[in-house]
Amino acid sequence: MTRLLATLALFALAACNRGGDGGRPVIALVPKTMNNPFFVDMERGARAAADSLGLELVVQAADREVDAERQLQIVENLIQRRVAALLVVPSGSREIVPAIVKANAADVPVLVVDTRVDTAALRAAGGRVATFVGSDNVDGGRLAGRFVAERLGGAGRVAVLEGVPGHESGDARLRGFREALAASPGVTVVASQPADMERDRAFQVMQNVLQAHPGVQAVFACNDVMALGAVEAIAAAGKAGAVTVVGFDAQDDARAAIAAGRMHATVAQFPAEMGRQAVVSAYRLLKGEPVPAEQPVRIELVTK
Amino acid sequence: MLRNRETGAFAGLLLLCAALWAATPYFATVDNLLNVAEQTALVGVLATGMTFVILTGGIDLSVGAIVALAGVALGLALRGGAPAAAAILLALLAGAACGAVNGALVTLGRLPPFIVTLGMMSVARGVALLLTDGRPISGFPPGLRALATARPLGVPAPALVMLALCGAAQLVLARTTFGRYVRAVGGNAEAARWSGVAVRAHTAAVYVVSGALAAACAVLLTARLDSAQPIAGLSYELDAIAAVVIGGTSLLGGTGTVLGTLAGALTMGVLRNGLNLLGVSAYLQQVAIGVVIVAAVLVDLALRRRADALAARRA
Repeated sequence: MTRLLATLALFALAACNRGGDGGRPVIALVPKTMNNPFFVDMERGARAAADSLGLELVVQAADREVDAERQLQIVENLIQRRVAALLVVPSGSREIVPAIVKANAADVPVLVVDTRVDTAALRAAGGRVATFVGSDNVDGGRLAGRFVAERLGGAGRVAVLEGVPGHESGDARLRGFREALAASPGVTVVASQPADMERDRAFQVMQNVLQAHPGVQAVFACNDVMALGAVEAIAAAGKAGAVTVVGFDAQDDARAAIAAGRMHATVAQFPAEMGRQAVVSAYRLLKGEPVPAEQPVRIELVTK
Repeated sequence: MLRNRETGAFAGLLLLCAALWAATPYFATVDNLLNVAEQTALVGVLATGMTFVILTGGIDLSVGAIVALAGVALGLALRGGAPAAAAILLALLAGAACGAVNGALVTLGRLPPFIVTLGMMSVARGVALLLTDGRPISGFPPGLRALATARPLGVPAPALVMLALCGAAQLVLARTTFGRYVRAVGGNAEAARWSGVAVRAHTAAVYVVSGALAAACAVLLTARLDSAQPIAGLSYELDAIAAVVIGGTSLLGGTGTVLGTLAGALTMGVLRNGLNLLGVSAYLQQVAIGVVIVAAVLVDLALRRRADALAARRA
């Protein structure tokens, strides 16, 4: 029994250790999780770039998007693995700081992708990162805001479905949206409430908003999941088509809703491009070339 | 040779280490082994408390949520200006208090531990979210962080904390009346009662131990991340139970050791570390961990059956 298990274990490990390094530099990508299509796309872009540049790419992630401790462990283990560069999407903007400090101590360059690190916490801990590659969520919010202002012809009543309070990306989208609306004084936000990035929460909140403000002409949701919940609430109130709905993320469901005319716009990010750009930056760093500290990745409005 | 129940767990752990040593040059370095010991500290401490509970035939599903609540208590106290020692004491008291409520409901309320601790899991998590509005707490004075970064004699402090707590727990269970009674309660509560063991008091006490050790885990976790998150410790209870079971402790209660649990926790730590070193895909890792949990228990059972057969022949 014991011998059988030992043989099996060795076989499994040998099978997992496929490929071998073959002397190529090994770089590691640590997304928040791999249980999310966004990060699967990111890996695809990163892998294509690594293959074409002759780099070996290792991708490791926690099961849960919010598991900052597991992400720290993965980074610690990859430092032991002596990877040449670390590309990380922080599970927590502050919680990632101890991991970055450990990588700094081991002289492994850290490239931050998609989600920003809390700069104050990083500075306080004496950590440093080589670059940030990602879309500007504030910019995305602005795109959504300008679209809404245009649709309403510069005047009208708007509702906002916020994300989880204190969550960096949702807050940034909101900030951009409000900024863009400030250019059209005729457009007023009559309600702005958190719906926790969840569909059924958004459905309830939107129902309440429609009760309190029957004249709402447009709604902006900080992600598509909430936007789709709002679409259902609007339909249930018999106002389908009368209220402009704008989401964020350009999920397949949202694109389909836009094609069907139930939603009107969403903001698309390009995770594969983030992955590609991060790997190219790592390649440059390894060759000793400088890379810019900020590398914006395009962000676009998707309409019918 | 180690005696009885933990033999299988240590054999499995050594086997796994040998396989990893053969598979990657990065595993068997002093630096990496200390790294694994540091990472294992969280589950190791949690599983030590869980061992007490499982020895009585109970289960504690609330430890992950208590990690979050105790961590939040620690974070709030630190941010309120409390010295690190006082904040840690407060966190430990919060954890022990949750455990005391569990213990009281199981003994005085005569409710199944599964239900009681499932309820506490939800309540403690909810309170942690309420206290923080769902946001992480950070920006602490530097004192606490030393618990994660200090390396007395070159060994990471969290690993030392784990060894100290495991050692103390092993002594309590093996050498004290309290330990003997805890095992007696799990072996046969009725017989224990007739022998004059205060069954209720001992049953309640193990939940207090479990809650307090969950809080100790929270202190280490908060020091490591330099942040207290109300969403911390999600599904840690399952890791702790897995460590206890891999360590050869029976879920029916009565038999088992903290040493075995330590071996179980190390097995999971080594496995996760090894899979990262080998660059195994995140999806395959989930499969591998599940397989190892079941395989470890299989090996343990096989060894024990053989030992039983030998003993029977000798008799």
